Amino acid sequence: MGAESDSEPRSGVQAIDPDDVDAADILGSAIERREDPALLTGDAEYTDDIEMRGMVHMAIKRSQHAHARIDGIDTSEAEAMDDVVDVFTADDLDVPGNLPTGWLLDTLEQVDHPILAGERVRYQGDALAVVVAEERYVAHDAVDRIDVDYDRLDAVTDPADALDDDAPVVHDDAGDNTAFDWEIGDAEKTDAAFDDADHVVSLDLENQLLIPNAMEPRAAVAEYNPSNEELAVHMTSQNPHLHRLLMSGVIDHPEHKLRVRAPDVGGGFGSKIHHYADEALAALAAKRVERPVKWVATRTETYLTDAQGRGHDTTAEMALSDAGDILGFRVDTAANLGAYLSTFAPAVPTYLYGTLLSGQYDIPAIHCSVTGAFTNVPPVDAYRGAGRPEASFVVERMVDLAADEVGMDPAEFRRHNFVGEFPYQTEVAVEYDSGDYEKTLDRSLDLLDYDEFREKQAAAREEGRYIGVGFSAYIEACGLAPSELAGQLGAQAGLWESGLVRFHPSGKVTAYCGTSGHGQGHDTTYAQIVANELGVDYEDVEVVEGDTDEIPQGMGTYGSRSAAVGGSALVKSSQKLVEKAKRIAAHQLEAAPEDVEFEDGDVRVAGAPDRSMHITEIAQAAYLAHDMPDDMEPGLEATSFYDPDNFVFPFGVHAAVVEVDPDTGEIEIDRYVAVDDVGNQINPKIVEGQIHGGVAQGIGQALYEGAEYDDNGQLVTGSMQDYTVPKAEHIPEMETDSTCTPSPVNPLGVKGVGEAGTIAAPQAVVNAVCDALEPFDVDHIDMPLKSEKVWRAANAATDGGEN
Amino acid sequence: MEFDGTFSLSDVTTEEVWLALSDPVMVRNALPGCQFLVEVDDPDDVDFDALSEAAEDGEDPPTLPEADPEDVAERALEEGGHYAALVQVGVGSVKPRFETVVTIDRKEFPEMDASGYGSASDSSFEMDSGMTLVETDDGVDVEWWTEADVFGRVAQMGQRVINPVANRVVGRFFKQIQSQLSDVGEESSGLRDRIEGLI
Repeated sequence: MGAESDSEPRSGVQAIDPDDVDAADILGSAIERREDPALLTGDAEYTDDIEMRGMVHMAIKRSQHAHARIDGIDTSEAEAMDDVVDVFTADDLDVPGNLPTGWLLDTLEQVDHPILAGERVRYQGDALAVVVAEERYVAHDAVDRIDVDYDRLDAVTDPADALDDDAPVVHDDAGDNTAFDWEIGDAEKTDAAFDDADHVVSLDLENQLLIPNAMEPRAAVAEYNPSNEELAVHMTSQNPHLHRLLMSGVIDHPEHKLRVRAPDVGGGFGSKIHHYADEALAALAAKRVERPVKWVATRTETYLTDAQGRGHDTTAEMALSDAGDILGFRVDTAANLGAYLSTFAPAVPTYLYGTLLSGQYDIPAIHCSVTGAFTNVPPVDAYRGAGRPEASFVVERMVDLAADEVGMDPAEFRRHNFVGEFPYQTEVAVEYDSGDYEKTLDRSLDLLDYDEFREKQAAAREEGRYIGVGFSAYIEACGLAPSELAGQLGAQAGLWESGLVRFHPSGKVTAYCGTSGHGQGHDTTYAQIVANELGVDYEDVEVVEGDTDEIPQGMGTYGSRSAAVGGSALVKSSQKLVEKAKRIAAHQLEAAPEDVEFEDGDVRVAGAPDRSMHITEIAQAAYLAHDMPDDMEPGLEATSFYDPDNFVFPFGVHAAVVEVDPDTGEIEIDRYVAVDDVGNQINPKIVEGQIHGGVAQGIGQALYEGAEYDDNGQLVTGSMQDYTVPKAEHIPEMETDSTCTPSPVNPLGVKGVGEAGTIAAPQAVVNAVCDALEPFDVDHIDMPLKSEKVWRAANAATDGGEN
Repeated sequence: MEFDGTFSLSDVTTEEVWLALSDPVMVRNALPGCQFLVEVDDPDDVDFDALSEAAEDGEDPPTLPEADPEDVAERALEEGGHYAALVQVGVGSVKPRFETVVTIDRKEFPEMDASGYGSASDSSFEMDSGMTLVETDDGVDVEWWTEADVFGRVAQMGQRVINPVANRVVGRFFKQIQSQLSDVGEESSGLRDRIEGLI
């Protein structure tokens, strides 16, 4: 594994048994995840595990064409089959059935997004008809007997192609396929910076479409009680309250009679944020047949319908001085939005992308313009990182080219241009809360034995071996806030979070949070937070998420927001409990409220250590309510709606060391070093796991993954046999380390880690491959770096470009 | 998707191959999974269910070398003619039954071009194809090409799955033609000469 090094890379975080940690130390300890036993033994309850009496199964007839007029749908054969309970099409719907988008932009062309296509289909997989049957297999067989009369139309799948004058028109309301035009930064100032530049580097690049591939496909079980109109939808959701709000409008069902519950969810990566047609169709089907309805997507269906990620065609230019200063940065992007506007689609290639284009650098002039394009691929939306990986990729590829242009070492060029003073106001609207960028760079150089590596690289080249190192100095923004700002930017929702902490009379605690974990380990980390704040045993804190019937309100889990926003809401509620507990204790201990102190779960009278009450005793007293202060209500629970003042900005440096064989185009990752600063860490083991998973997905994008369509908009990477999800053998050992720069904007000082890996990894690998192939004058290779592409690039000077 | 290839048939004449490949009965017999191949008047209005029933009850006329060459020439595919076929083919995990309509766009010895489309419940295709017969030292080379657009579930499997299927189908088709024709030259009835005279 890589080079021998003087500095010891960490072998990884060792997990600790929670029994060995007390409440005072629980926050920040790497305890084992409490959710794992159920997940590993099969005791977990995924949506497909739900069985109900009288339950029927739903399957969906989907368009086989990417773009077609529908001249007729014949469902008679399906209806005639035994055990088919119901078949319906768009003609049978008596509800609005239009999926809204949750983010508006000034120039946004809002197009209809029907839950069942009636007259026209716009991507392969667009839903056409629904079958409900007694058995899952019958439902699928019946779907196969539905006869659709298509009049096929030309399709377009690439965003830049879609914006051409002669491109097929996806929506008649948007005749030029433009969904929006958006810009950020100062164009004039940036033009002036380019006029004054000694050097300009430019690059055309593609950030390819990716398929999310959550382990569990999307699924829903809907149950309806016609007597009281209660409708419950158990579904694979990252944000049940958001799904409830949107779905109540889509299917015209009152929000207070709609319950959305996320059972255990097997990964989301963004793909389970959005409101798709399918879950609403399951709810409608349950209302129609008045029996519980289950729908589980096949893997093939998820490939056709899960919102894909990325999909940018970008031209970037960077202006430089002889001294190696970045003077200006100009970015022009065509962003693929797919066939319809998905829930947060307009935000992803705009405010989650353009605002990050300063990277870790002090860039005095930036301008970015983005054109959103309708195409005949599935709706494109947030996928792990959502806009920020695209931004980091552009910045870090350009920085490498810039360093090369001015003849500086890539690490030193980065250091030379780093932001030094915080808070830092970028030229693209956001203000970085805190950071120390040299710290993570220095640590990564140390782990790499960087100077020695460069000597080895030169020696290897002498022998005809090509090794390279690539840096990725990334920035990410998470915990998008405050809500007022989000509203100004077009969000049709707030981005606060609610947390309810409730003592039970026996002294046990339940913490309810409006986030909705689906693999992140919130049951563990939230219990650590609350136990630490209240001074109670970690084992005595239970965490509840993901059910609109139990949680006051919530915004869900995405954008690495849970700890920073949800965790902070739980802190606020816990603090309210402590305040109330102190007043009750002061009353019962006959002391003035200002004379009691709270520490490690005990309320003590200052100066009289024997006079104290533990908070669990106080909880019991609060529910007995036999002896309470005047004007104080009984009980001990508190709710907070926490709205942060600002985003938080994690950062770090990832570096890949690769060897490339120019004769075959094969790439071997020798080392992968990740140094991240995600602020305070609630549980370092979980942080490490998030980095590992994110890096694996990022390497997947760099080397293997990509949704590919033919000229007709047919997905030709439509299964796991054709779309390369990396396997264990494809992912190198990772050497991880971290620094800690606490965030000043939330009470925990945390920043978020869920997306760091996907934001950081792709350009680390691509930069390393380009560094390895530097003797062959390779500036850039578009992802995924498949062997053939790499071979062509390395051999372009001889015959690789042509033959 | 584009497929092309050359299939070498030995001990046959160009005319024999031409007659064989123009014979809808021979083609149907040789094409794996083909239930019927019959001429239709209106390519946009084909009742496949009725044709399928008729095919089940229908006779199985002889083909070369047993058949009379005049009969074969009589029923041969015609330029401008439309032909309906029901073809079931296993692709990966699915076995779609394609209701297919083919039009002979051009037929000039030794070249033939056809176009068509087929649809199954969850997949469909559109295709243009052609062939040229080239005389060789010991027989005939059939140079064939097909440009196909594939849609739906089959398309999702990509060329990785479709290429081997196409190669298998084409290979079996020509092997069958070869075995049928290998007897023609050995016929003592002057079959070869009579076929020469027909073309």
